[in-house]
Amino acid sequence: MFETWKKHFKRGGGKREEILAPVEGMAVSLNEVNDPAFNQELLGKGIAVIPSKGRIVAPVDGVLTVMFETKHAVSITADNGAEVMIHVGLDTVKLKGEGYRSFKKQGEAVRAGELLLEFDLDEIRQKGYDLITPVIILNTAEYPNMECHVGKKVKELEPIIELQVNK
Amino acid sequence: MKEYRYEIEDPMGLHARPASMIFMEAGKYSCSIEACWELQKADCKSLLAIMGLGARKGDVIVFRFEGEDEEAAYYAIRSVLDKK
Repeated sequence: MFETWKKHFKRGGGKREEILAPVEGMAVSLNEVNDPAFNQELLGKGIAVIPSKGRIVAPVDGVLTVMFETKHAVSITADNGAEVMIHVGLDTVKLKGEGYRSFKKQGEAVRAGELLLEFDLDEIRQKGYDLITPVIILNTAEYPNMECHVGKKVKELEPIIELQVNK
Repeated sequence: MKEYRYEIEDPMGLHARPASMIFMEAGKYSCSIEACWELQKADCKSLLAIMGLGARKGDVIVFRFEGEDEEAAYYAIRSVLDKK
């Protein structure tokens, strides 16, 4: 039992939780997102992924707390309390769901890796939208020791954000 | 307690941008600010809660303010909502 205890309590006494990449692509800093709501971290801290594949999977085990009717953004509340928002592209609310398909409904429980959305990269880009996908921790204030891993290519479910959970 | 009834005009409903504007303004006040729609209530200090309402164009949301600075919060949220 002591071993599992130790595993959970490395670095500074808190439990570390990982948020996994919901989409394959290039992980970059939020500074590179051309929208002040994201690059000024108004909605919270996080990273952005420039997608190379049109699939969004759940980044944690939890509940799908928001599935917009327009399917361009989702939020998952992790079992550990973290609120993760994934916003696929900028201003893509204007597409009203065109080019997006959803596979889960708001309120459903999800496991990390389960398919949430598919989107048509080419179609959406052709319409002139930037598909950069911010992945934001909405309740950032609860996680003062957040680490974001950017500047590398990620596959689905590679760790991108580490949180210290003190619960 | 103060109340403000607001009919959503944005054709896309309360999506991320309008929800985040309400959330950011709400965070500046100490009073409680709730958005009530149908049988749901959302704490406006949680962006997730506001977005989770799923309110659409034409829906009427009642904002309820309760606490010391409710008057100031009421006018601030009104000005955010009426800006568009």
